[in-house]
Amino acid sequence: MPKNIHEIRDPVHAFVRLDSHERGVLNSRPFQRLRHIHQLGLTYLLYPAATHKRFEHSLGVMELASRVFDVVTTPGNVTDEIRRRLPQLEREDERRYWRRIIRVAALCHDVGHLPFSHAAETTLLPEGWHHERLTREIILSDEMESIWEMITPPLRPEDIVKLAIGPKKARDMEFSDWETILAEIIVGDAFGVDRMDYLLRDSHHLGVAYGRFDHYRLIDTLRILPSPPSGRNDEVRQTQRGTEEHGTREAEVGQEEEARCVELGIEEGGIHSAEALLLARYFMYTQVYFHPVRRVYDIHLQDFLKAWLSDRLFSTNLEQHLKMTDNEITAALLEVAFDPSKAGYEHARRIVQRQHFKVIYQRNPNDININPEAGSAVYRALTSRFGEEHFRCDRCVQKGGAPDFPVQLRDGQIVSSLALSETLKNVPIVSIDFVFSSREKYEEASRWLEEHRAEIIRPTREDERNG
Amino acid sequence: MDRIQNAALLLRLIERLREQGSWCGETHVQKATYFLQDLMRVPTPFEFILYKHGPFSFELRDELTALRADGLIDLEPQWPYGPRIVLTGRSAYIKEISSRTLAKYDDRIAFVADRLGDRGVVDLERLATALYVTKRTHARCSAEERAEELRRLKPHITPESAGSAVAEVDKLVEEAEKLAD
Repeated sequence: MPKNIHEIRDPVHAFVRLDSHERGVLNSRPFQRLRHIHQLGLTYLLYPAATHKRFEHSLGVMELASRVFDVVTTPGNVTDEIRRRLPQLEREDERRYWRRIIRVAALCHDVGHLPFSHAAETTLLPEGWHHERLTREIILSDEMESIWEMITPPLRPEDIVKLAIGPKKARDMEFSDWETILAEIIVGDAFGVDRMDYLLRDSHHLGVAYGRFDHYRLIDTLRILPSPPSGRNDEVRQTQRGTEEHGTREAEVGQEEEARCVELGIEEGGIHSAEALLLARYFMYTQVYFHPVRRVYDIHLQDFLKAWLSDRLFSTNLEQHLKMTDNEITAALLEVAFDPSKAGYEHARRIVQRQHFKVIYQRNPNDININPEAGSAVYRALTSRFGEEHFRCDRCVQKGGAPDFPVQLRDGQIVSSLALSETLKNVPIVSIDFVFSSREKYEEASRWLEEHRAEIIRPTREDERNG
Repeated sequence: MDRIQNAALLLRLIERLREQGSWCGETHVQKATYFLQDLMRVPTPFEFILYKHGPFSFELRDELTALRADGLIDLEPQWPYGPRIVLTGRSAYIKEISSRTLAKYDDRIAFVADRLGDRGVVDLERLATALYVTKRTHARCSAEERAEELRRLKPHITPESAGSAVAEVDKLVEEAEKLAD
C-alpha cells in the first residue's frame, strides 16, 4: 500500500510530517527553488554556519502553523462566546478545510522571495512590488492552481493567498474575523509562527543561543480570545475631575463587549514564554539581523545588483523569477569581483574580498535626545563634504506595534498583556541608524565628523530644513 | 512633509485628544488620524485599510513604534486595559521646530479632537467605517445604501446605529468643507 504520510528530518522540530497532497506542493518548481535561497542572505559572511535556506524554514512554519491551529481550535480551548463569533469552529468539515489551507499557506508563504531573501528586496523591485506580491502571483499561477484542484475538497487559491501574506500585504482583499485570526497564526506580530520558526532556526544554525524560547509551552497556552478591553473616556474624565462619581454607561459597555475583536492571545500560564519570545526577538535583532556588518553587506549586494541586472531591477515575470536564485548571483559575484572591466566590479569586490564599508556613525541615546534624525543629518553632511560614493546610510526601526495582546487570567478575566507584564512593557524597541564609510575615506571623514558633530546633529527648524 | 513634520502633527493630535478627555489608546489615535487625513485632508502619508476595528493603517502603527523608539511618546498601562499613549517631555521640541506646519493645520487637528475626543472605541469604529464607506462610494450611494454597506462590513452594528453613523459623517463632511473654505 502506498505511503500517504511522509516524514522529513528537521533540526528544530525533529520531524516534519506531510501527506501526499502536500508533497505535491513540496515538489513544485516554486517550492523547490527555495532550496537555493539563503534564509539570511549574506549573513554567512559573518556567521559561517548561517547557510540554511528558505526551504526548511517553510517546512518548519507549516509544522508550527498546524500545531497552533490544533491547539486553538480544540473544543476544550474555545469558549462559547468565541464559538458564537467564529462558527467555523463548530463545523468539522470547515475545520478540516481550513487546517489544510493553513498548512499549504504556511508552506508557500515565502515562495516569492528574491535571491538572498530580504537583502535586495527594497530597491530592486518595481514600484508597488514586494516578495509577498510575488508569492500571491505564484499561488494563483496555473502551475499551482492545478495542485489546488487535485486536493479533496479543492482549495480556493484566494484563501491560501490571504493566509500566506495576511491583511497587511493583501490590502485589496476583505478578511473575515476567522481569516484574520488564521493569517495571524502565520504572519502575526506577536505570535506568528513564521517568526517563531525563524528565531529558533536561525539561533540553531548561527550558534547564537539568544533566539531560543519555550515554544512548546507558548503554543500550548495560545487561545483565541476577545481583544483586551479599552479604557472608557468617562473614566479618564472622572480621573481628571478627581470625583468619586461612577457613571456606569451600561449600554455602551454592552456594545463595547460586542464590538471587541477576537485575536490570538494566551492563558495566564504562558505569559513568561511570551516574554521569552519577545526578548528572543529583541536579542536576535540587535545581535544578528541588525548587525552593522550584515547590513552593509546587504547594501553592497544591492549596489552590485543595480549594476549587474538588466534594467537595474529584478523581473516580476514569474518564469524569470523562478530561474533566479542565489546560485546565479553568487556565480556572478565571484566572476565580477576579479574583473575590473565588468559592471558592478567595485561592489562585488567589496563583498568577495571582504572590503566592506565601516560604521562611521551609529544612533545613540544622547544624539537621539537632541535630534531623532541625527543619522540622516550626519549622512547628508558627509556626502556633501566627501562625495556620495564613499558613504551609505541605513535606517530601520522594528515593525509592528507594542506587544498588546489578550491574556486570560485563571478566573476567566481578559486583561491586556501590557497591564499584566512589566517585562513586555519594557522590552526595548530595536532601531538602527548607521552611516557607513568606505575604507579609503574612513580616517579623514572620522576626524572631520568628530570636529563638526555637534553642529551637524543640531536640530533645525523646518524653514531651514525645507527652505 | 518630512518625518519630523509628520511626527509633530501626530504629537499635536495626541495632545489635543487627551485634552478632550480621550482614553487615547492606539485605536483612538488610528481613527482620529484617519479623520485627519481623509476627512480634513491633512497630508499625512498613511494608507488605511479596513481591519479589525474599521479603518487602520499599518504604516501608522509602525510610525507610533518609531516615535516610541525615539522617546517622543510612551505607553501608560492601566489595569486591566490596553495602554494609553502619552507624550514625553522630549516631544516639545519636535513641535517647536515644526511650528509652521502645526500652525497651518492646527484648526483641523482641533476639529478632529473636538468631534472625536470624547468617543469610545465602539463609536470610533462605527464613525470611521461610515466615513470609509462614504469615501469609497464617493457619496454616490444614498445614506440607506451606505448604512447597509456599513452593516455588511461590521455585522455587529445595529441598523439604527449604522444609519446614525452615516448621518453624522455626512454632517462632519459638511462642517469640514466649511472649515476648508
